[in-house]
Amino acid sequence: MKRRVLLKNLIAGAAALAASAIPYGLLLLLAPRRAAAERNYLRPPGALKDDATFVAACIGCGLCGEVCPPRCIRFHARDGGGKVNTPYIDPAEKACILCEKCMEVCPTEALTVTPRDQIDMGLAQIDRTACYPWVDRGVCGACVSICPLGEKAIGFEMWNQYRPFIKMGCVGCGLCVEVCPHPSKPIWIVDRTQETVAQHRV
Amino acid sequence: MSRQPYKPFFLWRHLNKLRWVTLTIVFAMLVLLPYLHVYQTYVAAHAYDLLPPSEQRLYDVMEALTAPFTDDPAEDLDALKGNTWSGTFWGLKLSDPLAALGQAAAGRTLYWPFLLTALIPIAFTVVFGRFFCGWLCPATFLYELNSNLAAWLRWAGLKLGHRRFDKRIKYVVLAIGVILSAMSGSVLVAAVYPPAIIGREIYYVIALGGFGAGMVFFLGTLLFDLLVARRGFCRYLCPGGALYALLGRYRLVRIRRIVETCNDCAKCNAVCEFDLDPLRDGFGQECNNCAACIAICPTDAMTFVIRPTDYPAQGPGHLGRQYRRAQEAVHAPEAERGEAA
Repeated sequence: MKRRVLLKNLIAGAAALAASAIPYGLLLLLAPRRAAAERNYLRPPGALKDDATFVAACIGCGLCGEVCPPRCIRFHARDGGGKVNTPYIDPAEKACILCEKCMEVCPTEALTVTPRDQIDMGLAQIDRTACYPWVDRGVCGACVSICPLGEKAIGFEMWNQYRPFIKMGCVGCGLCVEVCPHPSKPIWIVDRTQETVAQHRV
Repeated sequence: MSRQPYKPFFLWRHLNKLRWVTLTIVFAMLVLLPYLHVYQTYVAAHAYDLLPPSEQRLYDVMEALTAPFTDDPAEDLDALKGNTWSGTFWGLKLSDPLAALGQAAAGRTLYWPFLLTALIPIAFTVVFGRFFCGWLCPATFLYELNSNLAAWLRWAGLKLGHRRFDKRIKYVVLAIGVILSAMSGSVLVAAVYPPAIIGREIYYVIALGGFGAGMVFFLGTLLFDLLVARRGFCRYLCPGGALYALLGRYRLVRIRRIVETCNDCAKCNAVCEFDLDPLRDGFGQECNNCAACIAICPTDAMTFVIRPTDYPAQGPGHLGRQYRRAQEAVHAPEAERGEAA
């Protein structure tokens, strides 16, 4: 008899708990949907090009992150869905330095050793309506001076005004994104099929 | 008159302590490696002067730990990386067999350089059975502490569940995990395999500053073990344990009961974390050679043998009451009957 009372109380308690969650759920449903901050999710260098194949090949061991000297490789959490525990690089937070350690350590085919000029993490795009030199707001050149690939990837157009432009040799490591001093980051990494000059997006 | 009963090698009794040592070392390494990695990143960045005091302390400690072994920590410490799910040891890459199976299912291709990294663990499993579960698994370290906690709580008077399920459930979990991995094209078994979760999450929380997706699941399994079934996840649900058990089905190194010195006290059955039946020679494919039953046996009646199958049931132990009664009934039946009449 006592056990039955206890069970009843437990069920009532659970029901009360569930009922108390209803207003919160309603608020979540009714609240205006806020656009998530735009983020660049890049795969580490040497990753398989097709993302579904990459997810199938990655076992989520975390080795690529554990050897990364700048600790730029992070891992998708629950919100990544099927990509959970697979590595990504957000260049605005911390960018890849192309040290190639992650490709060497990866046990699977997800990251394979690739020569530096054949790495394809993406391609940098510059928004010429926001970048400081392009809108004549001063002299910068941070992206050009940090680029590990140098003249193959980025250069100055109208050299006396230090306006940067991207060349197709760019591999998309994202160091330029990390160092860009502009608060709205007018340089970012996109898929290689897109152009090097971006539409204004803000 | 009677043959001297077989005495097991004296070290076998102490193997359980050695097992705790290895479990502790593996777990401690999983904690140490992320700190070493953080230290490496500071060294590579030449950033000591820019660090806050707490990180400088970490730097100093790690420098003191590694200075005897290396002059170039940023490069040399890369020799030892990873966790039990997949790791690299001085260039030798080793992976969990479940990782190889799950990845082959998810990718639907056989990538040999990766599958070969599971070869050495598989070879060891074929010889030693499910030894990974008892000797290396970082989750076992926590699960065994957890079952000690449960024992204390019971001793303190709490009523915790001690339910038993069908041990074959874990083979179903393994099959479903592999099939779902193949269907979804992502290595889903990694998300429900505690050692992989532990290895990842320790790294995430130390080096990346926050738990990932698996921690809630792992805490859930700890609660399940504590409240519902002792070592319930390993016994009934773990897909990796299922794979190891299948690989170790005809393992060569087994534990055997010596019937001549057994007194039927059943302490071996009580101590067995995997709910096996050493008292009646029921080890089966799921024994992980953890040697807890050898350590607890009061009459030294447990030993290791090299044999691909278990001994058939040997009957009650010769020092036990059941066997003695049976012997008396055989040897002096007339006298007893006479007394009774």
